[in-house]
Amino acid sequence: MKKTIQLTINGEPVEAAVSTNQTLVQFLRDDLGLTGTKHGCGLGDCGACTVILDGKAVNSCLVLAVQADGGEILTIEGLAENGKLHPLQQAFVDKGAIQCGFCTPGMILSAKALLDEKPNPTELEIRTAISGNLCRCTGYQKIVEAIGEAAEVIRVREES
Amino acid sequence: MLLPKFDYHEPATLEEALRLLSEMGGNARIIAGGTDLLVRMKLKVEKPSQLISLRKIPGFDAIIRRENHGVTIGPAVTAAELSKNELILDRFTPIALAAGRLGAPVVRNRATIGGNLVNGRPAADLPPACMVLDATLKLKSATTEREISVGEFFRGPGDTTIEPNELLVSIFVETPAPWSGGAYIKLGARKTLEISMVNVAVLLTLQGQQGLIVDAKIALGAVAPTPVRAFAAEDYLIGRQPSAEVFREAGAIGVGMCEPITDHRGSMEYRCLMIETLTSRALNQAYQNALAWKP
Repeated sequence: MKKTIQLTINGEPVEAAVSTNQTLVQFLRDDLGLTGTKHGCGLGDCGACTVILDGKAVNSCLVLAVQADGGEILTIEGLAENGKLHPLQQAFVDKGAIQCGFCTPGMILSAKALLDEKPNPTELEIRTAISGNLCRCTGYQKIVEAIGEAAEVIRVREES
Repeated sequence: MLLPKFDYHEPATLEEALRLLSEMGGNARIIAGGTDLLVRMKLKVEKPSQLISLRKIPGFDAIIRRENHGVTIGPAVTAAELSKNELILDRFTPIALAAGRLGAPVVRNRATIGGNLVNGRPAADLPPACMVLDATLKLKSATTEREISVGEFFRGPGDTTIEPNELLVSIFVETPAPWSGGAYIKLGARKTLEISMVNVAVLLTLQGQQGLIVDAKIALGAVAPTPVRAFAAEDYLIGRQPSAEVFREAGAIGVGMCEPITDHRGSMEYRCLMIETLTSRALNQAYQNALAWKP
């Protein structure tokens, strides 16, 4: 069974026919070629497929594409502004918070959802926000530091 | 991991949803957040040929304050929303705390209270919290409507009294009496994305700031085929002056209400010890919250 969905992805309107049993991550990767969103466990345990749907970080492997109809989606591809890395992406690079990189898009989007809600998070809030995202390289410390630094960069940028 | 094929319906009204549900009977499943159902479908534990989504039904994602009386929670309200909502945090504390411990943030943003109740898992977070608050569930089918106390809703692992043609349409919770305080403690091997080894929800009501315990409710999860109330421990507490000693004794009595199993998450012996410890700890926390009660 196919259905037509209309949604906004990284600011661009998208209309597509999808199978009802297609998950959002399959739609993003296979139909739209947005392979920045990773497909990990497929069961909501690893967070590699995290995207922001209507302002909230979600596992896109546990959302049907048809459930995202009418929604607004942000993937890692939509984060850079005018060819410049988002402060979170830059901080991950600067702090060495990327090892194999598989968890990175999900980590960054969970962090983005946190900073949108709480621009000045505590370390505990950062750790809680990414608690659904697994890093098999176990580079959590650098990731937490990078998110803290990005928060600082964004604050300074918005004050000036 | 691929999903089996199914037809997908998005009714725009409750009436339409109930009609679809009665027409399709056992072949249909309701999808709200999907964080449990889609996992079970991927693992081929469930193979519904029809999915009925609740996302378009008006009011299902609303938390409505009933003035001086209580709150009505829509079945599609997410765990994230419950954990942050000020009214729920303030007056219905165990629900907010339990919702905040369900899964991980990425799961809580989708998972709903309705799903967490209807799935009937013995270790779920929200059932014990709803039980200490005596929540009333409203169930509707195309032709019937009934209300049931959450304490009578669970029958066994994954089994509740809901019929295949019924839909959970709202959860009503009466505001606890003045000088009430609640708590929820979940024990797992890690803090997130964890299924409880033991969980305990508590609601304690005092006569006043210095007063005796006038009401006590204790519910435990992951310790029996369904979440259970520790009635004997509650009876013991009522009429006593709150103290660490009394709370310890209530914990010891609470263990008697449970029949935990040994599995990969923990042994029966360990669970029993933790029921005692966590019940007493949750009572202490609920007592502190009751002391801090404000009109």
